[in-house]
Parts: sequence; C-alpha cells; structure tokens
Amino acid sequence: MQEILRMEHITKRFGDMYANRDINFEVRRGEVHTLLGENGAGKSTLMNVLFGLYQPTEGSIYLNGNKVKIDSPAQAVKLGIGMVHQHFMLVEAMTVFENIILGDRNTKGVFIDRDARRKEILELSQQYGLDVEMDKPITEIAVGAQQRVEILKALYKGAELLVLDEPTAALTDIEVEGLFQIIKKLTAEGKSVIFISHKMREVLHISDRITILRAGESVCTLNREETTGEDLANLMIGRELVPSQYKKIEDAGDAVIKLTDVDYCKESKHNGLNGVSLSVGRGEIVGIAGVDGNGQSQLAQVVTGVITPDSGEVDMKGSRVAKFTPNGFIIEKVSHIPEDRNKMGLIGSMSVMDNIVLKTTELPEFSSGNGLYLKKKAIKEYAEQMQKKYDIRCASIEQETRNLSGGNQQKVILARELESDPDLLVAVHPTRGLDIGAARFVHDTMIAARDNGCGVLLISADFDEILEVSDRIIVMFEGEIMGEYSGKNPPINEISLAMAGK
Amino acid sequence: MKNTSKIVNVMVPLVSVLLAFIIGCIIIAALGANPITALQALWKGAFGSVRNFGTTLSRATPLIFTGLCACFAYRCGVFNLGGEGQFIMGAVVCTVIGTQFNIEGLPAIILCLVAGTIAGGIWAMIPGVLKVYRGQNEMIISIMLNYVATLFMGVLFTDWMRDGSVPQTVAIPDASRLTRLFGLRATTAFVIAVVVGLAVYYFLFFTSKGFQLRAVGYNMTAAEFNGFAVKKYFLASFLVSGMIAGLGGSADILGTQFFLINGYASGYGFDGVSMALIGQLHPLATMLVAIFFAALRVGSTTMQAATGVPTSVSDIIQALVIVFTVAGLAMVKLPEFKALLNRIFSRKEVA
Amino acid sequence: MEFVTNLILASVRMATPLIFLSLAELYSQRAGLVHIGLEGLAAIGSLTGFLVSHITGSPIVGVCAGAMAAILVNMIYAYATVTLCAEQIVYGMAINIFAPALASFIYRVYFGAGSELVQVPLMTNLSALLGINADSFIAKLFLEQTLMVYLAYGLVIFTAIYFSKTKSGLNYKAVGEYPRAAATLGINVIGVKYIASIICGALAGIGGAYLTTCYTTTYVDGNVAGRGFIALAAVIFGRWSAGGVLLACLFFGFCDALQIRLQVASFNVPYQFFQMIPYVATVVVLAIIGMKKAGPKSCGKPYRKEER
Repeated sequence: MQEILRMEHITKRFGDMYANRDINFEVRRGEVHTLLGENGAGKSTLMNVLFGLYQPTEGSIYLNGNKVKIDSPAQAVKLGIGMVHQHFMLVEAMTVFENIILGDRNTKGVFIDRDARRKEILELSQQYGLDVEMDKPITEIAVGAQQRVEILKALYKGAELLVLDEPTAALTDIEVEGLFQIIKKLTAEGKSVIFISHKMREVLHISDRITILRAGESVCTLNREETTGEDLANLMIGRELVPSQYKKIEDAGDAVIKLTDVDYCKESKHNGLNGVSLSVGRGEIVGIAGVDGNGQSQLAQVVTGVITPDSGEVDMKGSRVAKFTPNGFIIEKVSHIPEDRNKMGLIGSMSVMDNIVLKTTELPEFSSGNGLYLKKKAIKEYAEQMQKKYDIRCASIEQETRNLSGGNQQKVILARELESDPDLLVAVHPTRGLDIGAARFVHDTMIAARDNGCGVLLISADFDEILEVSDRIIVMFEGEIMGEYSGKNPPINEISLAMAGK
Repeated sequence: MKNTSKIVNVMVPLVSVLLAFIIGCIIIAALGANPITALQALWKGAFGSVRNFGTTLSRATPLIFTGLCACFAYRCGVFNLGGEGQFIMGAVVCTVIGTQFNIEGLPAIILCLVAGTIAGGIWAMIPGVLKVYRGQNEMIISIMLNYVATLFMGVLFTDWMRDGSVPQTVAIPDASRLTRLFGLRATTAFVIAVVVGLAVYYFLFFTSKGFQLRAVGYNMTAAEFNGFAVKKYFLASFLVSGMIAGLGGSADILGTQFFLINGYASGYGFDGVSMALIGQLHPLATMLVAIFFAALRVGSTTMQAATGVPTSVSDIIQALVIVFTVAGLAMVKLPEFKALLNRIFSRKEVA
Repeated sequence: MEFVTNLILASVRMATPLIFLSLAELYSQRAGLVHIGLEGLAAIGSLTGFLVSHITGSPIVGVCAGAMAAILVNMIYAYATVTLCAEQIVYGMAINIFAPALASFIYRVYFGAGSELVQVPLMTNLSALLGINADSFIAKLFLEQTLMVYLAYGLVIFTAIYFSKTKSGLNYKAVGEYPRAAATLGINVIGVKYIASIICGALAGIGGAYLTTCYTTTYVDGNVAGRGFIALAAVIFGRWSAGGVLLACLFFGFCDALQIRLQVASFNVPYQFFQMIPYVATVVVLAIIGMKKAGPKSCGKPYRKEER
C-alpha cells in the first residue's frame, strides 16, 4: 500500500515539558491506523501538530512523499487533512448546513449558493452513508449525528486523511457500530483514517495497524493480527498492569439518601431526570453507568442540592428534604467531587491552602468569633498537613490551584471533601483526564471512605471504572433508570445493552 | 514563584506611571514648556508644603470613597459602574437633610452621614436586584442610573432648592460642617475614608465572609457548588459598595463641598473604577492610587500657573496610567511572558 | 398633529447616532469582543469630527476624520484584548476613561481654555442639496435628512444581508460563536477580530462625529451623554440582529425626541425629569426583557492560539 503521511522525528515542547519526543509515525492509503495511549501520552499533541494547531519544535512532515510545512489549520485542510476533534468543533447557534459550508474556500462568489451547496452535500452524504438533517440547528441533533456532521464537514473540504480523536467517547455501542460502518466505507473508497483511542476492544476491532505512544514517545507500531489486548495494555502503560481487585460489598447499611420518582426537566432527554428512584446505603459504592449526557449531571446536582427536582421525593438519612440548597446538603454531610473540577470544584485564582479550607473557615479551628478573624497560621498548618496526607504536589500551598495538574487539583478537592468525614460522597467523573497513578489514588480513597461507612454515589462514563469499584451498578439512559445490577460478577453484555437504551 | 508574581504585580503599575509621565513630558515639551520645571511645579503644588498636602488629601477623599466602592463590588465579581450615581444620591440626601431639617451640629452630621449612606446603598440595589433577579447587565443599568442621579441633582440646584439667582443649593450651615484637620483643607472626612478603607481591607482578607465573597468573585459556579449563597453575596456587595459611595457623597458635602452645583462629582465614578483597577482591587493600594490621582490634580493647577501647561495634561497622564496598567497586567499573564521571566530567573540562579 | 410629525422626524434624527454606535457594538460582539468603551470612542470621534470640520469647513471630511481617530484609539483596545488577552470589560472601561480625557485635552489645547464657544456649520439636508422644497410630512421624512441618515439605514440593510446571506458573514459569526472551531476551518480568528475592531472604531467614530457635524454646532465634554451605553442596551434589546437593533434604536431615539419635545412644551416640571426619559427607558427595557441569555457565545472570552 502507498504511503500518504509520514511524520519524522516530531518533537513538541511546552516550556520544559516534552509533549512529544522524537516520534515517527506513518499512514498508508486506505488503512485505519490507530494511535493508542493513555491520557497525556501525547496523542492529541501529535495530531494538533499534524493539523497545524501547534508548530513542532523539531521534526518534519511528509504528505504523499513531499515535505510540507503546516502552519495553520487552513493549510492542513488545503493539503487534504480533516480532523474530527474529541470536543466537536460545531457552532451550536448555526444549522447543520451552515456548519458544513463554514470556512468554504472552494467556491466563488460572495453570497451563499444554498441550492448548489446542498446538492453537493447530499451527494457526499449518500456516497458514505452519512445521513444528516441539514436544516436542524446543531443543538437539536444527537451526539452521533453531530459526529456525522463533523465527518461530512471534513469530507466536504476534500479530506483524504481523516483524524478521529477519541470518536467513541460519547457514543453508545449502537452508535459506535454505525461509526465503524462509516469508517469501513471511507477506507474502501481510498481514504485513510487515523483513529485515536485508549479503548482496547475498539482498537482491535477497527485498526489495520496500531502505534502506541507512552509519555510523549512512540513505543512501537504493530499490525493488528500480531497483537492482543493484554499486550497493548502493557505496552501502553509500560509495566505489567495488575488488575486491581477491590472487595465488593453486598450488604449495605441504612440508606443515606433515597430518591423516589424524581423528575427534573422530564422532557429533556439529555439534561433531565424521569421518574428516578434509587438509594445509596452506608458503606457501599453505587455506580451510575451510562453514556455522558443522559441525565447524570442533573442527578448529581439533585443529590447535592444544587438544583431542585420538579417532583418526587428525596429522603436524607430518613427525613424528607424540603429545601434544596448546596449549603443545606453540606450541613447534612454530603460531599461532592463535581464533574468539572475547574469550573465547579476549585477557585482557580485562590491558593491550594484557601481551596482546602474553602467550606470550613467558620469553624473555631480556623477562625475566632464565627469567622470574624481568620487564624491564618492554623489554616496554613492544616493545609500543609493535608498536602502531605493527600500527596498534593505543588511548589507551595500558596500556589494558585489553576496552575496545578489535573491529578493534583483532584487531590485538593479530595482533601477538602473527605476530611469532613462525609455520610454521602457524590463523585462525578472523578478520574476523567487523570493518569493511571492518580486515578488509582482516587479509587483507593473512595474505597477507604466506603469502608469508613460513607455512602458513595459514583457517576462515570468510564464503564471500566464503574465495573472496578461499584458494589451496585445502576444504568441511566435518557434520564431514566434502565436497570440495576450487582457489582459482583456483573452481566457486562446486559449492562452495555441497557446503556444503549435496549 | 509566588514572590516573583507579587513583585511583577507591583511593578506593572509603577512602570505604567513612569511611562505615562514620560509621555506626559513629551506632551509638555511639545506645548513649548520645560518638562522638568513643569514636573517640579506639579510636585510642589501637591506635596510642596503641609498646606498643599492637606489640599491633596482633601481632593483625594471623595476619590477614595468611589475607589473603595468599585473595589468592593469587583472583588465579588459584580461590575458596579454606578459609583458616581450612588455618591451623588448620598450627597443629595445629605444636602436635603443638612439644609432643610432645621438641625445643626453633631446630630445633623450623624443623621446626614447615615442617611447618605443608606441612600447610596438603595441606589446601588437597583442594578443589584435587576442583575440577581432579572439576569440583567449591571454595568449598563448602573451607568444609566448615574445620569438619572446627576439630573435629579440638577432638579435640586436649579429648581427645588435653588439658592436665589445662582443655580446652586443653599449651603450646609457652619455648625454642621466637618472639622478641619490641623487647620488644613483636609477634614475628618479623610479620616472616615481611611477608616472605611481599613475596614474593607480587614473584611476582605481577615474574615470568613470576606474570604467567601472573594471566592464568589473569582468563580461563582464553584462558590455555589461549595455552598455559598451567591445571590446574597451579589446583593450584599452592591449594597455595601453603594453605601461606601453614599457615605463618601455625604462626607464630601459636609467636609468640603457644602452645596450642590452643576458638574459636581462628575467623573468620580469612573475615576473610582480606574483607581480600583490600577490598585488591583486591593483596598489599601486603591487608597494610595486615589492620593496619587488627587496629587496630579492639585499639582497641575500650580503647574499651569508656573508654565502655562493646561491642567488637563494631568487627566491624560491619569488616563495613560490606566491604559498601560490594564494592558500590562494582561501581558504579564501571557504564557510567553511567564516563560521569559522563568528564563531570566533560572539564568540568574545558574550564575 | 404637528407635535406628532415633528416627534417622528426628530425620532429618526435622534436614532441615527445610536444606530451607528449599536452597529459598532454589533460588529464587535459578533467577533466575540464585548466593547463597553463605545462612549469613549464616540467622544474622540465627536471631537475630531468637530475639529476637522472647523479647520476644513467640510462636515463630511470631519466625519471621515472622526472615524479615523476612533479607529486609531480602538486599535489600542484591539491590541490589548486580542493580542494581550486583557479582560474586555476592564479594557473597555480604560478606553472610556482615556478617550474622553484625550478629546477634552485636544479641545483645550487647540482652542485654549475658557475661550468662547466655537461653532461649526452643520451638514446640509438632502432637500437643500437637491434644491427641493420639502413641505409634506413624507417629503420631510425622506428628504429633510442629512446623508448620514441614509448611510445609517443603508448600513443596517447591508449588515442584515452580510450576516445572513454571505459566506464571509457566516465565517465572521463563527469567530464570535466558537473561535477554536473557526480556526480549525482555516478562518483567521485574530484577523477577523482586528477587522471587527476597525469596523467598530469607524462606526463608533462616525456616530460620535454625527453629534458635532449634524446635530449640534458645538463640542462640549460629555456630549455623547451615555449613548455608547444605550447602544449596548440596544444590541441586547435587538437580540444581536441588525433589524432588531434598528427597532431598538428607533425606540430609544423616540424617547430622546420625546424628552426634547416635552421640555419645549414645558409643564412646569423641572426639565431634568424629561431628560431622564431615555435613561430610565433603557433601565426599564432591560428589566422587562429579563434573563434570556443570547448573543455570541465566546463574547468576553480571550482567544489564545496555542492553548495549553
């Protein structure tokens, strides 16, 4: 097969940090070449270099054998490179049609020739089986459809080489199957696909060849036939991965929180709750599985008092909750690891120290007269203690939290939320974007809290995480509960069907 | 690292002042005067004698109040641009009570100050309530209310409380005026301003509520998730910042102004905003900037007398300071600048 | 009857500077730049327009000079907010403090402090230009206007078409909505933002110059009188569309015209109460439309190219 892309000795440095170091990578016409690696292994950086968003510190790129300099996305598009980003680059205020023709340079004229463009797009979409509703605003179509718009957009701009960055992260199994059909059609027509993922099953299913990245360097390139999932996992992590085995609890204590028929914006499939009933007992971890955007955020916000349900009942340790305020729930000893740690968890412009005592400055340990005078020395000593206990790596506890790495930010939140000895811990995507070491730390901490008698509600889109730590698994789809399963020997196939709404 | 960023934050306004003065000197030279003589006159006018310094402090007093008003509101993340209107409403209510209520002396002073404070607070609550309960842009509304307040003041001095043929109100009686400090132009109003500044400083950095208010200002979503009643903080910060401005208006009337007249307090609001921004929302720094601004104004009169350079040069210098400071503060946050700084400092360490 | 016709005529006239300023804000916000410094830009445009038409005797040259001056000042804003990523609100305030101070300084230096009021000729109406005698209401409405009025309404139509029918307009909007997406499509985000700042500066300058070349014959400090901020409200009220903005401006123009008519009519009420009408109307309108968040998504957020 003919080579379409070759990246030679690519190095990308940010300050003193190497995001990519001397990477060689090559793609042939008509193949699916997977880039496999952990979060932070350098996959996205490499692709951003290819797409002209970053300039490589060193190294060169060859397309069809010719050396090229890609200094902007416009240049990349011109050279026939299309990219579907993990976070879709779609303008929500515009329609599907407008998004596809956006940035169009191939046609002449000042005005938009709607009929002609529409015809072209229709032809393309039929050729590759990418059906989209052209006049709908982006906000009104499902995630899978948005992805099809992204692919169509790239093809419309004349892409020969398509980069799909974590394309399955937000899809249901059924949608993933549809995506794979599309990828097969693309390669059959002579297009090449770079597939970025860390999900072993999918990688083995769709790839022709696999290149593994670890800590910014390329480890090796393998043919799919030559390898197994375990090999790939070990290469990816760089050491033998001992699967963690947490003990599963089957007999939980009294319910800390109990929801009965809770509705919230019931009509909204992606941002609502429809008749949700569940309970979390003391000393158990209840995992909420499901693809992102099926009401999990709203569930988390109801059980932490941020939003008030439209109807239904919430009981906290046996008594009915009348008023939903975050503070009321904090008083009831509910702790929260929110889904977006920068936006909801931390005050980025404040120090590690301030964030650790954020909720507790009025306690007598930290201030006299109910907060009339802050005992700064006591706060500092406490924060230093926490820094050691939770292994928060920072230059000093006076460093602003926005400058910390994701893992250390999460540890600051853990220190704040778990030291208050909560009765209920609500953890939403607690390991998202963390490396394996930090994720393991978060899981160990959650298990320890459970063993201390805390009820844990874990909401995660990472199915493996749910399987690993949950004592009970509840599946959510479009705001409804699809089923409840034991965490011990869970029926994986049945659960993944439930996650797709079947 | 922490220390470097602190030093940088202090350096930016200082460098901005320097740059502004350099440009100011170029302008002065272009107008045909000797910049050195002009600057000497400026300095002498502002700080040259105890008397002049007293005048500077008296000019600084209303600015400190509007500066603190802006500072307090922005610390909570609300853009109250209505300091001027709140200041005027305080002055208006103070003038009405001080001249129409037939009371004099200390009771009048206390009543005037309290009423003025309340008036400023109420005036600030209009944008506050509209922001919190109607989700509206507090900046536009507070500015519109500045115009309304100015016009309302106009009603008093041209019509309702007009003092004979001149368009100004009757003056506060001597007995109700604030005492001068050591016979200087500065009055106890300046002392009140400093006390308020210290109180704001203590509240923001040494109390739990102040800590929480700053947290709300930095990131209201996270503050809400962590159990702070964000709406209450918003309303409270509008109320308090308006009260500071209102107190300023009434103290200024009782201290130096005594009556309402066309053009009174014009520009105080935006001056307050720029002082708070140059002072990087630190109450003590804001007060220093206010004194600096006042010095420029007082000194520029002497400068005009000595060299013929128009006083508005000082306005230009002031405006340039804010333009440079805000741009400079943004620049030092750029990753490129941080990298440069790191390189310089690491090289020093190696050496 | 005459009261009503005069009121309508005055509304159209009073709406004109607001239309320029609102369109300035619209172009700026569509590229993701919230600009609260229009008041300052208009002030410098107003002074320059006045000064140049005083020197050259031509109001049209004055208007062009006003536009140029405001563009120059707005380049400071653009450099600070686009290149240095300064906070847009804060920098807009800085412009509001800087530009009027500059305008007032130039006036003082040029004309000397305390000099008598200098006056300049106003721009002639189209009817006078064409030598037509406009008697009827309709003729007055369409002919007894300066060229600037036609320019304003022409720009509204142009803007409406530009943003809805052209490729370039679509790309422009994408910059304000989702700059990273626009960048991945090869749109020059930084370039569009600078172009937006040039357009915004020009329009705000024209809006300011209108006040000294078509409205009153003199320049006084503070003659923009909050129109820069009312224009911001007009953009919100007009839901970020050219047509909506036009209606909002006509409404605010009407309020302004009404207060002048009422002052003249005098009801033994202090005239300041009538002068409050436009400002109070702005507050009331904002309070009524309430919380619908709309407008370009990326507004107010800085855009960095190599974000990490």
